[in-house]
Amino acid sequence: MPPRRIDPIGDESDSDVSIFDDFDESGRGKGKGKGKGIDRNKKDKGKGKAKEQPYAWEASYTRSWDTVQEDEAGSLQGAVADLIARGRRRRLLAPAAAIRRTIIRHLILILDLSSAMMDRDMRPTRFDLMLQYAREFVTEWFDQNPLGQIGVVGMRGGLGERVGEMTGNPQDVLKAISERHKLEPSGEPSLQNAIDMARASMSHLPTHSSREILVVFGSLTTCDPGNIHDTLAECVKDRIRVSVVALAAEMKICREFCDKTGGTFGVALNEGHFKDLLFELIPPPAQRAFARASSGAPANPAADLMLMGFPTRLPETSAAGLCACHSQLRSAGFLCPRCGAKVCDVPTDCDICGLMIVSAPHLARSYHHLFPVKPFQPVMSLEGTQNPSVGCHACAAPFKEQTAGAAGAADGVSPLGRYRCAECHNDFCTECDVFVHDVVHCCPGCGK
Amino acid sequence: MDRASHLSTIVDLSPAQWTLSGSAPKERHSLDLQSFLSQLLIFLNSHVACKDQNTLAIFGALPGRSVMLYPSTTQAAGSNSADANTYRPFKVLDSTVIDSLSKQVEALDASETEAPVGLVGALTKALCYINRVAALATENDQTVAVDPRILILSVSPDQSASYIPIMNSIFSAQKLKVTIDVCKVYGPDSVFLQQAAHLTGGSYIHLDRPDALLQYLTMSFLPPPSIRQLLAVPTQDKVDFRAACFCHKRIVDIGFVCSVCLSIFCQPVPVCSTCRTKFPIKTLQRLNAARPTILTSAATPTSGNASTFPSSTTNRVATTNGNGPNPNGVR
Ligand SMILES: [Zn+2]
Ligand SMILES: [Zn+2]
Ligand SMILES: [Zn+2]
Ligand SMILES: [Zn+2]
Ligand SMILES: [Zn+2]
Ligand SMILES: [Zn+2]
Repeated sequence: MPPRRIDPIGDESDSDVSIFDDFDESGRGKGKGKGKGIDRNKKDKGKGKAKEQPYAWEASYTRSWDTVQEDEAGSLQGAVADLIARGRRRRLLAPAAAIRRTIIRHLILILDLSSAMMDRDMRPTRFDLMLQYAREFVTEWFDQNPLGQIGVVGMRGGLGERVGEMTGNPQDVLKAISERHKLEPSGEPSLQNAIDMARASMSHLPTHSSREILVVFGSLTTCDPGNIHDTLAECVKDRIRVSVVALAAEMKICREFCDKTGGTFGVALNEGHFKDLLFELIPPPAQRAFARASSGAPANPAADLMLMGFPTRLPETSAAGLCACHSQLRSAGFLCPRCGAKVCDVPTDCDICGLMIVSAPHLARSYHHLFPVKPFQPVMSLEGTQNPSVGCHACAAPFKEQTAGAAGAADGVSPLGRYRCAECHNDFCTECDVFVHDVVHCCPGCGK
Repeated sequence: MDRASHLSTIVDLSPAQWTLSGSAPKERHSLDLQSFLSQLLIFLNSHVACKDQNTLAIFGALPGRSVMLYPSTTQAAGSNSADANTYRPFKVLDSTVIDSLSKQVEALDASETEAPVGLVGALTKALCYINRVAALATENDQTVAVDPRILILSVSPDQSASYIPIMNSIFSAQKLKVTIDVCKVYGPDSVFLQQAAHLTGGSYIHLDRPDALLQYLTMSFLPPPSIRQLLAVPTQDKVDFRAACFCHKRIVDIGFVCSVCLSIFCQPVPVCSTCRTKFPIKTLQRLNAARPTILTSAATPTSGNASTFPSSTTNRVATTNGNGPNPNGVR
């Protein structure tokens, strides 16, 4: 459900004012300047229908259900095919070469625990929804950033509150945000206090890892002890990337934080959009622009070569021995490849020789970012193909025969449902095309 | 076994490895392709017989490529010569597999018999097939066959070049909730397949007596994973979490890892070959200085003073601290 809609007002310039009246009542005018600028820019003057015009931050978001339209026969098939086509095109646009990403990530998740979170404009409440999505976010985040670490900070009563220490274990993070009664919202939030706390807990990190802050902000005010712009300057200096997902409306200071530190800013329009905004922040970010700008210097300061050991895992049935980390008698564990010491869990630093021990699959989880499968080319007709295959090379589902006309031949979509790998020239069905690129990341024909 | 289960079998058909396996001395309980296939077909028949709705797919990994052997798109409809003594599904299965197999083997070029088998292709095909079957089932509102699984019957050694594709397949299997079982019929243990079984909750079994293949198969791999929790299935011994380096495709236990893209190298390199990142000279010197120590400490596992070394002040020997004030961190 969108938060608020502009009242139907004929005159555009009036509609701007109405937004700010609205803000001034509830938000003490925090978002004023910025919102105005954007709203003006995005106005579709040709239409002149202000009642069609959503908030500025809504403009970039098209609801997928708005665009779905039934065809004459009342079927959704055409619309669904169109959606798939759009997904394909987006993939084609993505750069084919491996992009640099910061894979060892450190993230502080700042959760708004102020009384504004008890608002029911998102079901059941903003607070409950935030906790639920935060849990899903953490799970998925660790799935894609296996060597990353997350810490959690809460904002309530005008203070920053450490909810969970920075840790690489998803279970610890989930536990920290699962105790609902300990997080009960109250008071005002303080953006400055929370960001300062987050910054302090990341100050010791090595230079090659990324430092990120993600703020979920439900309030329209922040109650700060000092000048928040000083905090912003510190963040820029420390190369901390701040992203904000706002639940109410755009605030100037939030956008400024995101713009100046290279983060992203978004205002959630409804439950689904809120989740989308959060989940967009999960994939490892391409290394930040200014890091690249400074790479005119001989070496990227953030890059380094690290020594890592890949352990052997001992089964439960092996002979028991003392572990190096807790001095407990255990049978299961991992053996350090350099000194042979036994540790309970990986990833960790060996307590004896200091080698960083990671299991190789941890690293491998991120390799599909490095070697993406080249997009398959849609086959438009079978002319010029000798002995076209009868079925999909991967799942053996038979292809459809030549369809007459094929009106829905949007670009990037094969009327035959055939997609061909440029390397091995095998044909794949739509289903497998999507599956290969989104999940397997490896062509079944050529293994690349 | 109250719900149907799906089994995708991947058969490693490397001619070279099967010749070696078949020609091993009898007292080593060798197994040749002929008896392997007959035992395998009995196992597959019993899977089909367990429950009416059980489904089966068979993929062959041949030198340099992979094929789907069953269900074949060109279903041998002509071979309907009903045999009064055989249950029809068994007959169809057996003849389809044997037919497509002999077709594939005939098509093999003598020159390519040494080529490594297309295990990755077979594995990804099996995953695509399971993905489609699951999608079809949800579309038609059927109950999806519970715990789909993949059984790999392997005879070839690891190809370290396929490390990344195999790992990617393992993660997709995890996403699809597919269990990967591995039966190593011949040859040395496979590091990658051990990890595959471990990460997907399957079993990895190295056959001590390959000639008793059928018994291993029925006892360990016939019951679907949900039932196996109640059984004492042979568990995996050690799991090797080693990886293959990107530069020489060598399997390493200590590697040098690029902090930007996590590429693994077996020796310090000045520039990452994957993402073109240049590494600081300081790091290279430090790592090169540390290398001889690695080799010696690997040779002599426990040095007396190691245990008295307080963990809190442990030198981070050339690990994460890129700007660490510790250029020669090793004692
Ligand atoms: Zn321990
Ligand atoms: Zn060690
Ligand atoms: Zn397909
Ligand atoms: Zn291909
Ligand atoms: Zn190498
Ligand atoms: Zn790299």
